[in-house]
Amino acid sequence: MNRRLIFAMLTGLWIAASGMSALAAPVTEKIESDISSRNIAIESNFTGQKIVIFGTIENSRQSDFEPGLYDVVVAIRGPKETIISRRKSQVAGIWINSKSQTFANAPGYYALLSGRELKDITDRTTLNAYGLGFDSIAFRPLGAKTSSMATGGLGEFRRAVVRIKQREGLYIYNPEGIVFVGRNLFRATVDLPANVPVGKYAADVYLLREGDVLSHNRSHLTIDKQGFERFVFSAAFDYPLAYGIIAVIIAVCAGLLASALTRRD
Amino acid sequence: MFEIYLPIAEMSVNLLVLLGMGGAVGFLSGMFGVGGGFLMTPLLIFSGIPPAVAIATEANQIVASSVSGALAQWRRGNVDIKMGTVLLVGGMTGAVVGVQFVKLLRQTGQIDLIISLSYVTFLGIIGSLMLIESLRAIRRAKAGNPVSMRRPGQHNWIHGMPLKMRFKRSKLYISAIPPLLIGTFVGLLAAIMGVGGGFIMVPAMIYLLRVPTSVVIGTSLFQIIFVTAMVTILHSATNQTVDVLLAVVLMVGGVIGAQFGARAGQHLKGEQLRALLALMVLGVCLRLLFDLVVEPDELFSIGRAIGGH
Repeated sequence: MNRRLIFAMLTGLWIAASGMSALAAPVTEKIESDISSRNIAIESNFTGQKIVIFGTIENSRQSDFEPGLYDVVVAIRGPKETIISRRKSQVAGIWINSKSQTFANAPGYYALLSGRELKDITDRTTLNAYGLGFDSIAFRPLGAKTSSMATGGLGEFRRAVVRIKQREGLYIYNPEGIVFVGRNLFRATVDLPANVPVGKYAADVYLLREGDVLSHNRSHLTIDKQGFERFVFSAAFDYPLAYGIIAVIIAVCAGLLASALTRRD
Repeated sequence: MFEIYLPIAEMSVNLLVLLGMGGAVGFLSGMFGVGGGFLMTPLLIFSGIPPAVAIATEANQIVASSVSGALAQWRRGNVDIKMGTVLLVGGMTGAVVGVQFVKLLRQTGQIDLIISLSYVTFLGIIGSLMLIESLRAIRRAKAGNPVSMRRPGQHNWIHGMPLKMRFKRSKLYISAIPPLLIGTFVGLLAAIMGVGGGFIMVPAMIYLLRVPTSVVIGTSLFQIIFVTAMVTILHSATNQTVDVLLAVVLMVGGVIGAQFGARAGQHLKGEQLRALLALMVLGVCLRLLFDLVVEPDELFSIGRAIGGH
């Protein structure tokens, strides 16, 4: 009698415990990532660079190599700029800049990489919330009354910024940019062109399943002019008068040198 | 391989292309004895350098080329310091006003337009005049008549103005107002177009001031040194648009090119060369005009807000 009771209680406990443990520690997916280089130096031979963002999905529930359960989206955002978008119109036969719209907080660089088209991954609300995709970049128009950017003339100026930045290689959207290596390991390669703006960059990596963001991981990247380029650039902007005087001295010396070298009497 | 990154223009360009451009323009300036700024600045703009950086940097390069040019003239005693000083007082004034004007144009987004329009106007006028003059000379040479320059007359309206000064080297006793005004105008052009302004200064001195031709080039180069130096410093202080690296590369190319140009110029016929230069000037003018008149593929342009650096 006693033994049977104890056995029953133990069995009950075991069942409860196993049920509890399943409830208490559900497997949560997490994303971890990093960038191939955290500091990029722009020197006189800089013609652009490729960087690799790689990472892994922890506690993945995916059992086989077939993709589909998860989506990884990578967004790399450069330093904020105040950008003026200008439209030309014809005046007396000549095309001149007429209307303009200024946008604050425009990323100087924006690269978005995913495994498939953004619209197939999640809805617009989520894209906007995380600033994913060109349409969701939070440009702040200055001096405009409404913030509804998709409507009216403002949208035209906004689209122009995206279009021109895309042409310059500074805005990138690659829906085939995420490559899975094995079951949980992924990598994404992105181009930083020669005209990439200097400053602090953030690489955000998002893990999504069925349209919901499960996990987010951020790593940082600094792009800076180095060596002679940095020296010239900071001199020009921090000590502009001295820079100008030195520029003239260099030119005068070059002129004197040239006439000394080429003089033959 | 030979790409270099220009720190102020913020772009990567091919070093050999830049040297080649500097060399080609230097060759022409050596051959014709012209400054070359009016060809170099459009070339820089065509190759994608922001126009504001192109004009400021070109002013810096002209300092170098005019120093070596003026020195050669100085050794031959062809510089009228007093006349040059009066011209450059005006030139400094023009430079100050011009650089402020450029700053204003940059803020309102019209700088590219004004630079292009200035070039179309001046290249158009000068190219046409040169072409007409050289074609006439060629025709005259064919007819067998000797090529003669029109001698400037003795008096004109300028001699009636007050503030008269004696310019010994130029053997002139004229009012200081016309050289001041000419200097101011050329200083303005130097600041807006990134040129030395010899193409205005030289004819103005010959035909308006009646300065003897022997001292014209030397005196013009003398004041160009100081005006372009001033323009360089002011552009740097006001607009931060002088790219020293670009300027140095252009200087190197220019010096080398000028040597070959000067030698080549000695063996070739003047009229044909002038006609050729005129055609080149007109070609650059038409290209700039074309870009202004034809509807661009992209109506929009973007730029970083000035002052937000």
